[in-house]
Amino acid sequence: MASSHLALYFAKPGLFTTIQDKGRFGFQAFGVPTSGALDQAAADLANQLVGNGLDQPLLEVTLMGPKIQFQGNGMIAITGADLSATLNGDRLAVNQGIEVADGDILQFGRPVSGCRAYLSVRGKWIIPTWLSSRSAITQNGKHLTPASIVQKGTTIRIDTSLVDPLRSSSAAIHPPETDPGIRVLPGPEFDRFSRFSIGEFFSRLYRISPDSNRMGYRLQERLSSFSPEEELISSGIIPGTIQITSSGQPIILLADAQTTGGYYRIANVVSQDLDILAQLKPGDTLRFSLTSFEEFS
Amino acid sequence: MPEIIRFGDRGILVNFEQKIEAEINEQVIRLSEDLLHQHGDSLLYTIPAYCSLTIQYDPKRTNFKALSGSITSLLNRTTSPATSSHRKIEVPVCYDTTFGLDMVEVCANKGINSATLITEHTKPTYRVYMLGFLPGFVYMGKLSQSLWCTRRRDPRLLVPPQSVAIAGAQTGIYPSEAPGGWNIIGRTPLPLIQPDAEEPFLFKAGDLVNFKAISLQEYHEIEEQVKTGIYNLKVSYGF
Repeated sequence: MASSHLALYFAKPGLFTTIQDKGRFGFQAFGVPTSGALDQAAADLANQLVGNGLDQPLLEVTLMGPKIQFQGNGMIAITGADLSATLNGDRLAVNQGIEVADGDILQFGRPVSGCRAYLSVRGKWIIPTWLSSRSAITQNGKHLTPASIVQKGTTIRIDTSLVDPLRSSSAAIHPPETDPGIRVLPGPEFDRFSRFSIGEFFSRLYRISPDSNRMGYRLQERLSSFSPEEELISSGIIPGTIQITSSGQPIILLADAQTTGGYYRIANVVSQDLDILAQLKPGDTLRFSLTSFEEFS
Repeated sequence: MPEIIRFGDRGILVNFEQKIEAEINEQVIRLSEDLLHQHGDSLLYTIPAYCSLTIQYDPKRTNFKALSGSITSLLNRTTSPATSSHRKIEVPVCYDTTFGLDMVEVCANKGINSATLITEHTKPTYRVYMLGFLPGFVYMGKLSQSLWCTRRRDPRLLVPPQSVAIAGAQTGIYPSEAPGGWNIIGRTPLPLIQPDAEEPFLFKAGDLVNFKAISLQEYHEIEEQVKTGIYNLKVSYGF
């Protein structure tokens, strides 16, 4: 079978557009974050809609999307946030497979809901891997994963001849919740916080601060009563760890966070709810609800 | 006996005695290696730190009960571990003030001259306790007590890559340009990460390190040798 290709040319990169996949596992002892699509459920859906395997990379588009010209024919799907995608000026349906043709222009507009959209393209992406993953890293990413960070003029090539048969072509839409309750488990230093601090932590409505990104979300409200006796000796951090800085500010660490830290870890967001967090943007609010380890094996 | 606690919905944290000591760190690294050896298929990754081990597992392949049982039996081994051999790496460092941006300030605070600082910094054989903060950042110890110092009050927004720095009882090397509050006393011509190399990271936890003072001219010579691929890293094996 003759190989055929589809190229995506980025006339505009968008605010922060990266290539992501399931993530980079096994190198955390070297300080390498796991990375990977922040909203894994939306990323899986996007790949399923175009018949790709779930390990295929795709684009993670943040709030203000890119302008892409297609060179060749193919099939795409957009899931996750509604960022007003249009194809040649016409509003594009989300959560379903869409045929694109040579010369078509995909653009994004006003963010309507959510924070991160996922753009899958049917076929095999020709992108170099670093340590067995194609996910971009935020810190030092231009050095470590340059091919996975979209810039103006970037071209991504996809081999469209090597594909699995298509299975499904549409799916239900789940609009993001307002003030979602994010389920958390007690963190390693949970018992070092006073009952008053714990009460305060769970009764607050938190707002996500503007200096939030794939490394972590800073929350604007601080714990008033928190005064740590000492810093910890640096210890591991996993995606979803909520640390409280010495000034009482909670930070939810995400997939691109550093792998170790010295602040008290009050709680950990359960893995499933990291997908909900991925769709919250600066200014959005959330609450934490305590769940039990008995829910998980 | 180290404490085994749950960490997230698919993780375990093993807390050893909370002290920065080579023997404790050795147990952390050994537990990490043994677990990866025995249960590699069901583990996503481990993060060995100074005196704790973070473990993330695949909940489809194992669970907390099974894994914590294995950890307990590994920790209960009565046979004393054979002292393992460590790589000892010689790391050339240029302490010239071109690179040692905080050299003057640290010397003034400590009431010593730069020659003394260099002697004190190159004297010990350091242990790489852990990597973290940034991909490839190495935490080493212990510093000679005469050099213990606090972090900078105003952290730098951009520390140059390969800067050698000190803070508290630790010394470390920045692998890439990054914000940082450690006091910078020199720079090594050796890159800590070579992304396209088969082994991208120069160091791993448990390595031993000796710093060797070099001149500006030697710095540039080694830098050139690294670029052209003819630099021979000086590695020996010891205890």
